[in-house]
Amino acid sequence: MSDDLMIDVAGLYHTYRHAGVDEPVLHGVALRVRRGEFVTIMGPSGCGKTTLLNILGLMLPPTRAERLCVAGRQTLGLAERERARIRRTAIGFVFQRFNLLPTISARRNVALPLKIRGEPLDGQIEPLLERVGLAGLAHKKPGQLSVGQQQRVAIARALVGRPALLLADEPTGNLDSANAQAILSLLSAFHREWGQTILMITHNERLAAVADRVIHMRDGRFCE
Amino acid sequence: MLALAWANLVHNKVRTGLSVLAVGIGIMLMLISSGLAGGSIAEVAQRMQSVDAELVVLPAQENIIFTSGAPFPEIYRRYIEKQADDRGPLAAAVIPVFFGQVHMGGQQQRLFGVDPAQMGLFLGSRRVLEGRAFDRAHAFAQRIADGAPRPPSVDEAGINAFLADGLELVIDDRLRRVGYYDEAAGRQVPYRIGDRIRVMGREFRIVGVVEAGVAGRVFAPLATLREIALAGEKKSSMFFVKLRPDVDPVLAADRLAAALGSAARVELKSAYGTLLRESFAQVNVYMNASSGLALVVCFLFILLTMYTMVLERTRETGVLKALGVAGADLLRLSVIEALLIALAGVAAGILIAFAAKWVLGVVRPLLTVELTTGRLLLAAAVGVCGGALSALYPGYRAARLDPAEALSYE
Repeated sequence: MSDDLMIDVAGLYHTYRHAGVDEPVLHGVALRVRRGEFVTIMGPSGCGKTTLLNILGLMLPPTRAERLCVAGRQTLGLAERERARIRRTAIGFVFQRFNLLPTISARRNVALPLKIRGEPLDGQIEPLLERVGLAGLAHKKPGQLSVGQQQRVAIARALVGRPALLLADEPTGNLDSANAQAILSLLSAFHREWGQTILMITHNERLAAVADRVIHMRDGRFCE
Repeated sequence: MLALAWANLVHNKVRTGLSVLAVGIGIMLMLISSGLAGGSIAEVAQRMQSVDAELVVLPAQENIIFTSGAPFPEIYRRYIEKQADDRGPLAAAVIPVFFGQVHMGGQQQRLFGVDPAQMGLFLGSRRVLEGRAFDRAHAFAQRIADGAPRPPSVDEAGINAFLADGLELVIDDRLRRVGYYDEAAGRQVPYRIGDRIRVMGREFRIVGVVEAGVAGRVFAPLATLREIALAGEKKSSMFFVKLRPDVDPVLAADRLAAALGSAARVELKSAYGTLLRESFAQVNVYMNASSGLALVVCFLFILLTMYTMVLERTRETGVLKALGVAGADLLRLSVIEALLIALAGVAAGILIAFAAKWVLGVVRPLLTVELTTGRLLLAAAVGVCGGALSALYPGYRAARLDPAEALSYE
């Protein structure tokens, strides 16, 4: 794998098995994403976008793959403990449904990745919350925030550890157009300043246009 | 992890509170049942220790809790008195006791039939608070000893008249204070000198109150009880033996055991507590099993709580896994939550146990609940270990969750 590549995937297949019936989702996907690149994947529901993102995020082992290099590591056959370590150190996630922990404050949600890594907070949380426009809301629990604010917290949480790779699964899917645009601007700004590699799934053609590259997907295959 | 565990518990206050209460009740049951059994045994053993004697002679192979009747004819007393070494008889005093039953203070009490002349050996340094500890001259016993003729028929009045000056009871101060329920007054009132109590079909009257801590809570003259129960036959339920000061109690016990044969066993008075515990062993097994079962139910409650919480938090678990939390850490999170519940439950259980002890002291003052440091530590250890074990399966489930599947959980 070239040092320039953040993601290098070839011959990727995945099949779900429901009630004894095989349901193939990915059919020999190949993808290369350079470091610092902002890529969006578009496609209809059920075409395998989220499955691909889960596999690239090392949350789902593929049924079969010729090559699955993520964040500079060949990840095929790695044990869950090792995959968890790569997730912890190199990958940030932003989900459509935010997936914040409801029992703790926005501040603690953002601090969570650093706590998990065992790193000191060193005053990183407040500036980041200020940066995403939540300066006065750090003590609020997710249930006390609007959906737009929750997604800002989720972005701050995904970026606080400065991961090399940010995977975003329809981050604007639950937001109105104004909030969606704001979130996208935020991601773009962080991408420009911090240079993270971003792989984002979206349905929105207009939002997808901010990326360096747009990949279309249909029936488990890329149709660039 | 601790902060997250705490936040999770605080988030579900009602469920956490119920789990804490469940553990607390289990711990309280464990403490009270063992404390009650241990306390009662210790209290009885302590009272028996107060007798000024070194040995006890008991019926062989009989559970000492239920020692009853009078298996020892007078000849046993004489055998004991006869045992001697080159300095003289081993026993300075042989103290026969005849056990009866009396209902006082709201429960059955063991009635100690003792020779009034030997009452001092039972009292030791304890004082007579009211009345007298029987009539030292004891006219009734003297009359019997003098061979006074019994009433010629079963005429009730005649028998009562014959027994009259022998129908005396001495009680301890604790029983006096517990008293009885006076229907006319509509409340519990303490016993007083002169109160009449029915024992073995005869009406006795209280003639004295002694300080608590003596071997029995109720004493009656030996001769009277023998007259009523055995038509005057001089049999005893057991003997205390006060030895000559220079006699080794262990050697004397062996010597007496050999002399008395297989119908009797001779024990050191200091072993009485152990004998009591042995006699209670079966009851203790039942009580321990009951409180153990209660604890198991409580821990199942924790398990169910943790399992439900793990199920409810499936998405959150997926998030934590996505953030790189290892399965072992999720298991630890579950154990920490359960430990917090268990610790709070143990604290609550200990508090409830002390409250229950206080309530029992008011409602049933004759019961003794012993909450020793050892029992409290054992309860804490059982609570903490049980809590941790209860979290293992739910924690294992959380650790094994597939992150992608967990994130799509509805």
